[in-house]
Amino acid sequence: MAEIARELSEYLDDMALNILMVEPGDLSVVGALLELTEQLVAEAGKQEGQGMILSMAKSFNAALQKIIMGDLPDSAENFDRLGQCVVQMQEVARKGGEVDEAANRLFRENMTAVGFAVEEQAGPPSEAEPAAAQSPAAPPAPEPAAPSASAKAEKGGAVDLDFLQDKDLLAGFVAESFEHLESIEVNILDLEQDPGNSDIINNIFRTFHTIKGVSGFLNLKKINELSHITENLLDDVRNGKREMDSDVIDVVLGVGDYLREMVQNVKDVLEKGPDVYRDYGISQFVERVKAVQSGQGEAAPAVLQLDEEDEESSSAEAEADVPPAVAPQGRSSAAAQPAAGSQPAAARANGPAARSRIGESIKVDIDKLDGLVNAVGELVIMQSLVRQNPLVSRLADPKLNRDFSQLARITTELQRTAMAMRMVPIRQTFQKMTRLVRDLSKKTGKTVDLIMVGEETEVDRNMVDSIYDPLVHMIRNSVDHGVQSPDAREKVGKPRTGSVYLRAYQKGGNIVIEIEDDGEGLNTPKIRKKALERGLISEGDNLTDHDIQNLVFLPGFSTADKITDVSGRGVGMDVVKKAVEKLRGKVDVSSEAGKGSIFTIRLPLTLAIIDGIIVRIGMERYIIPTIAIQESIRPKREEYNTVYGKGEALMIRDRLVPIIRLYEIFGVEPTYTDPCEALVVVVENEGVQRALMVDELLGKQEVVIKSLGGYLKDTKGVAGGTILGDGRVGLILDLASLLAIERSSAEAAATAEGEMF
Amino acid sequence: MQAAAEEVRSESVGGVHELEGKYLTFALGKEEYGIGILKVREIIGLMEITAVPHTPSYIKGVINLRGRVIPVLDLRLKFEMETEAYTERTCIIVVEVQGESAAVQVGMLVDSVSEVLNVSGQEIEPPPAFGGSTETAFILGMAKIKGDVKILLDADRIIGTGELAGFEAM
Repeated sequence: MAEIARELSEYLDDMALNILMVEPGDLSVVGALLELTEQLVAEAGKQEGQGMILSMAKSFNAALQKIIMGDLPDSAENFDRLGQCVVQMQEVARKGGEVDEAANRLFRENMTAVGFAVEEQAGPPSEAEPAAAQSPAAPPAPEPAAPSASAKAEKGGAVDLDFLQDKDLLAGFVAESFEHLESIEVNILDLEQDPGNSDIINNIFRTFHTIKGVSGFLNLKKINELSHITENLLDDVRNGKREMDSDVIDVVLGVGDYLREMVQNVKDVLEKGPDVYRDYGISQFVERVKAVQSGQGEAAPAVLQLDEEDEESSSAEAEADVPPAVAPQGRSSAAAQPAAGSQPAAARANGPAARSRIGESIKVDIDKLDGLVNAVGELVIMQSLVRQNPLVSRLADPKLNRDFSQLARITTELQRTAMAMRMVPIRQTFQKMTRLVRDLSKKTGKTVDLIMVGEETEVDRNMVDSIYDPLVHMIRNSVDHGVQSPDAREKVGKPRTGSVYLRAYQKGGNIVIEIEDDGEGLNTPKIRKKALERGLISEGDNLTDHDIQNLVFLPGFSTADKITDVSGRGVGMDVVKKAVEKLRGKVDVSSEAGKGSIFTIRLPLTLAIIDGIIVRIGMERYIIPTIAIQESIRPKREEYNTVYGKGEALMIRDRLVPIIRLYEIFGVEPTYTDPCEALVVVVENEGVQRALMVDELLGKQEVVIKSLGGYLKDTKGVAGGTILGDGRVGLILDLASLLAIERSSAEAAATAEGEMF
Repeated sequence: MQAAAEEVRSESVGGVHELEGKYLTFALGKEEYGIGILKVREIIGLMEITAVPHTPSYIKGVINLRGRVIPVLDLRLKFEMETEAYTERTCIIVVEVQGESAAVQVGMLVDSVSEVLNVSGQEIEPPPAFGGSTETAFILGMAKIKGDVKILLDADRIIGTGELAGFEAM
């Protein structure tokens, strides 16, 4: 006992020394002081009967943090007063931690003079005191009577949006938290593969720890509390007091989701103002976490469980006990305290292995990146302009030629790198699917393995977010409708556990994502029947099975017999198709009855670049996106038909494809006006085929899409512009709106026709 | 449009002195026009313009301005003047105006660029009331300098979003 007191005294002596050296504005000494205080808190916390010191040290710590944060002035007077506080603490320590009312009173007086409110401690310090001392600060005033541990949902009441004070910090917190929360999922899923890997557990722990710390500083008390108790639970796991079993994983994932929702709300508040603030009730989760923590912890010593319980409940009590008068002061101490309590944990967590999994990277503003990509694109064009300059190309200087090819290599490399900066592996998106499949298989009572291939495939940063929703939909579909129940699988001689493959790879200029299941496959006759009922096809249509299967992408087409919670809510695969087409991609399904189905999504590598065919019409050049092109032909006279009142069409492979004379729509003077002399490019958009008449195909090229500027943004028929090899602007056709123009003009013609009769 | 024209007029009458400053003057037909120098980004020679379909006739199309695609409008057509063949003096004045969300750059084709003039407040008179036509809406005022009259134009109104709304209705 005396030994311990001496140790504490040593810390206090060091602190006294430090405080003498502090000069206002010299934060490094304050930092050293803070570190000492934290050690003192840790030390005092370990010992019994040092509650008095502990609570004083904690208040001291919080006051210091407020000074560092600039909440309290770092004046010489304040440091003098803090010095006095240290003296009082030394006094208590000398007495072996006994309760010393006089010292306590002096300590409090000094603290109050500094501008820091120390809570009255009810009753003599007890075993539960450490917790009580830590938590009183936690509950900010505006919610004096919201016991977090009660089952009652908290009510907003007078909405406390104090946390809005520092918006920059808050925005940073939001962004960071999302990242951290995402990492929880990834880490947990890793952990399922490799249970007991302490690095991964540490990673998860650290996530909650960080969120807890920062939210504490920012006075986001609910987020703080929820992450705090989860951190406690994980701490037990880390220390080997309990297993990382599925109960823990479930609750951690649940909390992660809920935290994300809460952080999202904070973000909304930041963006849209305090009106959208929602007060989230966290009591449910608090109880769940506690139940998990106490319920199945055989490995954990009972005493410790009790301690944890005590801490929670006393914190709840303390919350209710805060006198309203202390409230305004208590706010930022609330922010500081929990973080202070967690410092020892932080020290433990920041081991050398902590960051081993994260590659070094920096964050770059997307605008800057786009600027770079633009500049590089321009460089490439300028280079070819210079090289093609007649004067320059006449110079037959070998050195010049060598230099030019060297320059070309460098610019190409530069362009490649600039493009690559926008690319991220699809891994993150895929890993979210693991979670989804896990949840879904639980919900549906099926056992499903998700096998991922090619997670390292890189995709445009902008695409990653947009591909998430369609993927979720398709995975749901595969698990819910594709894979049968274990019993049904057994009956048909399949293993009870179903498999869903999620593959990504590059093929040509595309990213291909495949979702394959080994379930029952699509019921082609049923689709056909349904399509007939809905008048989507007619009996006479000569359709292959593959054609019929792809009808599921039509709106409102769901073959599920029962609407389940999981999918089949009437929003079918058409949503997927639309989303994929928005990314200028394509989606396709092929299926074999009884064996399973494969959904294939084909996406362009990047949204900034489009693979296009450059066509010439008269003097103008246009770019048609390659993905929409089916074929290009020179029509034969016998294939050409005019349909009275409906325009003209070509018979291509037994299909009548209407012709669009692009030169008419674009008002340019063409070389050919006879389709049989010109070329037609057959394009397909949303299932509609059209033959575009052009004069000549000039070649295939990857072009960088540029907006025409706000001024001409909504021009019909044009998706944007690009700078061609000669420096001129070429227009990229937007087939969707182009076909719409054609349709409306055809209708106009038809009505005009109708009026004549 | 009527209301806008009136608003401009009252503004101009009230505060012609606020209009003093440097103007880039250019010729269009027989007239000399001026445009606030702060709006002007650069002056470039005529380059090949890519026509964009389904736009008003005075929008000649788009050009590549060092990697950016910007629209170009022909002021002669915009002001419903007779077209004339472009000469080597024909220029594109690139102006920057505030669009709905961000600043947009737009090129304006003019016959030739003259000089940068310092116009003082007492040289400026409010635009004459021709009777509410759109054309006067673009006019900030008339500057009388050494016996010549230069028409001071409002770049924002020439390119303004109000005009855009007009195209969309087309």
